[in-house]
Amino acid sequence: MKYPFPVGKSDFIQGDEAIARAAILAGCSFYAGYPITPASEIFEAMALYMPLVDGVSIQMEDELASIAAIIGASWAGAKAMTATSGPGFSLMMENLGYAIMTETPIVVVDVQRSGPSTGQPTLAAQGDVMQAIWGTHGDHSLIVLTPATVQEAFDMTIRAFNLAEKYRTPVILLTDAEVGHMRERVNIPNPEDIELVYRKLPANEEEAKYPFGDIHGDLIPPMPIFGKGYRTYVTGLTHDERGRPRTVDAEIHRKLVERIVNKIERNKEDIIDFEIFELDDADVAIVSYGIVARSAIRAVKMLRNEGVKAGLLKLNVVWPFDFEMIEKVAERVHAIYVPEMNLGQLYHLVKEGANGKARVELIPKIGGEVHTPQEIVKAVKRCEKCI
Amino acid sequence: MYLKVSYEIRDKYLRKDMLPTIFCPGCGIGSVLQYTLRAIDELGWSKEEVVWVSGIGCSSRVPGYVDFDGLHTTHGRALAFATGIKMANPNLKVIAFMGDGDTAAIGGNHFIHAIRRNLDITVILINNFTYGMTGGQVAPTTLKGLRGTTAPYGSFENPFDIAELAVAAGANYVARWTVFNYIQGINSIKKALQKRGFSLVEFLSPCPISFGRRNRMKTAPELIRWYNKITVPISKAKNMSPEELKDKIVIGEFVDRDRPSLDEEYEEYKKRAKEMMGWEE
Amino acid sequence: MQIRLAGVGGQGVVLAGVILGEAGAIEGLNVVQTQDYSSASRGGHSTADVIISKEPIYDLIVTKADVLVALAQLGYSTTKGSLKKEGLLIVDTDLVKPDREFIGAPFTRLAEEKTGTALTVNMVALGYLVAKTGIVKKESVEKAIGRRVPKGTEEINLKAFRVGYEEGLR
Repeated sequence: MKYPFPVGKSDFIQGDEAIARAAILAGCSFYAGYPITPASEIFEAMALYMPLVDGVSIQMEDELASIAAIIGASWAGAKAMTATSGPGFSLMMENLGYAIMTETPIVVVDVQRSGPSTGQPTLAAQGDVMQAIWGTHGDHSLIVLTPATVQEAFDMTIRAFNLAEKYRTPVILLTDAEVGHMRERVNIPNPEDIELVYRKLPANEEEAKYPFGDIHGDLIPPMPIFGKGYRTYVTGLTHDERGRPRTVDAEIHRKLVERIVNKIERNKEDIIDFEIFELDDADVAIVSYGIVARSAIRAVKMLRNEGVKAGLLKLNVVWPFDFEMIEKVAERVHAIYVPEMNLGQLYHLVKEGANGKARVELIPKIGGEVHTPQEIVKAVKRCEKCI
Repeated sequence: MYLKVSYEIRDKYLRKDMLPTIFCPGCGIGSVLQYTLRAIDELGWSKEEVVWVSGIGCSSRVPGYVDFDGLHTTHGRALAFATGIKMANPNLKVIAFMGDGDTAAIGGNHFIHAIRRNLDITVILINNFTYGMTGGQVAPTTLKGLRGTTAPYGSFENPFDIAELAVAAGANYVARWTVFNYIQGINSIKKALQKRGFSLVEFLSPCPISFGRRNRMKTAPELIRWYNKITVPISKAKNMSPEELKDKIVIGEFVDRDRPSLDEEYEEYKKRAKEMMGWEE
Repeated sequence: MQIRLAGVGGQGVVLAGVILGEAGAIEGLNVVQTQDYSSASRGGHSTADVIISKEPIYDLIVTKADVLVALAQLGYSTTKGSLKKEGLLIVDTDLVKPDREFIGAPFTRLAEEKTGTALTVNMVALGYLVAKTGIVKKESVEKAIGRRVPKGTEEINLKAFRVGYEEGLR
């Protein structure tokens, strides 16, 4: 296959562009979107590339329709993606729930900007963390990835598709205006060196009868996509293993929703990804994710130079969340700092994880700018003094 | 016209384990479903090549009863989901079974944009002037003065004429009948299914329980008589003045044309893109 | 090394930043390039940051610039605080009146006189910057210009870059 951009070498590109290229290399053949700052560059790149690789790129009437279209495309057999920012992400909550309930593999990119409402359209934020995890109604689970660099935006987009296909679930790539718009050198591998995952299809007619049944004991049913003669019925209503609506049976509802949650929860080890810097002998830990993690790495070095034994836990996946790992960190340090570009979101999860074993302090910043390393250092030192 | 006995149609196309349906006595949805299945049967289409899509409402339950691939989606969004299905696999034939509230209120924007794009799909629309499933609230189709639980003194808003809306937005085929025009209905559905691009067949369909009861028409026969009173065939309507057409609903074929469909346009667009980028292998 | 380019919308400072960054990437260096501009497409302030290093880069925006290139007074006044005390200030000497030590040339005038259009001021200034600092090779920038400027404008942009480069060598 021919690609409309260089492969097997490095390039100097924006985060948004890297996401689009990675999607195509991951096998994405359907993109639907609606213009919004700062995610439009993803759409524009897909619009440029998709017709050339025989994929579809289509501008829908709004974000409700964009996510609906990619869910439809996924059931028609395509790997599909949409990208948006806060205001559009809010509109997508309805059908994000539908994708979860119908176990539809899709990738949704949220290039976070400052909110609430229209907020600061061109400036970065991390205000959608809780929305990404809990924004749609009802009990559920899904996967949320958080890149900090343009290279990670590229790598995690491929991973997002692989996880979506493997676990038959929506995956959110939660990035921000800063990563989306910054340019960095990115290594784009040769397509044959990229490991791709494809959804499990029914092995036979019998398996296809249970599009929502745990027939393999791994909590992930094979997906009988449309047009193959399986005659699959898919509904957002509570359904049994065959997909038939069963809306008043508590046991069927419990079984379905628990399986959807457990297929993520029980595969935490496979899904969760993190990096550790200087944490082994640390007295204080910084837990960070996304763009802020870059400043946090620098802050750790500066703190060490000033005699504070600091370490960093950089989360590449913020849901599912490894509460046990945070507790283990908390047992070894006396304080955990959580710098976030919001007024405290992941902080609450970290605090729950720490389970009282260490003090957990929030270092909030809003207004559109990323914490500088100096700001993190200052906040840590001020707090370390006050105890 | 030779019609097979309805048991034959039922046994061939319905999922027995899903029956009985949720439809009330006197409801028109079952009849329209039968017309649609008869049209498919007469065209000889196989179950593999058709996907049924719907939103939320009584009529949106239909994809659950028919033995085809089906996507029962969120309220109003059926055509947005359908856009993804059709464009990702243009070989699939897509039928959307929708209600008037689903189509014209919460899904109004998706409806006009699917038509504007000329998405290759057939919409079978059940218009019962009300939200039947949720208990008889007024809809954007409720005629002025008719009652619903959310306008207990009679609707004070102007209604949409969905068929006219579809014509104006650019649909390739639009027809409207009452549930009781069964021959015309089946023929229209057959035409619509074969049409490339957007096609709509709207049916005025009785809902005696949620709608009729609140408007002094407790049974289906009373609603039939009312339909007879308020409907005018399009041929006759052409010679009527606007005053004479006030409070009337026109039935018949509104448009039948062949503008290129969205997937056809996209095929051309791909060719253009490759040419412009010097991409031909 | 942290380099900040500042001007007003329409002067092409972001493109100059992208080309400088690309030149660094061509040489296998780590580069981060970001920008800041007002919602207005023309006339508001416009800043491009380029950080080039052999080491991994964690910084996102220029906080202590080694070099500040100012093409307009508005750009200068909004960014002068970010330049290091011992940093290098390069200005368009016709358009910017700095209140500290500086070097520079009338970039806009040079662009008009030598290439026939003031639109190439960004490339003239970039050439001057590269000659004065040697942060990347001339050839790398020329390669980057070839990749990044609109088709059909390669020649005039390369010419402008060389005009600035020569001026910087003098």
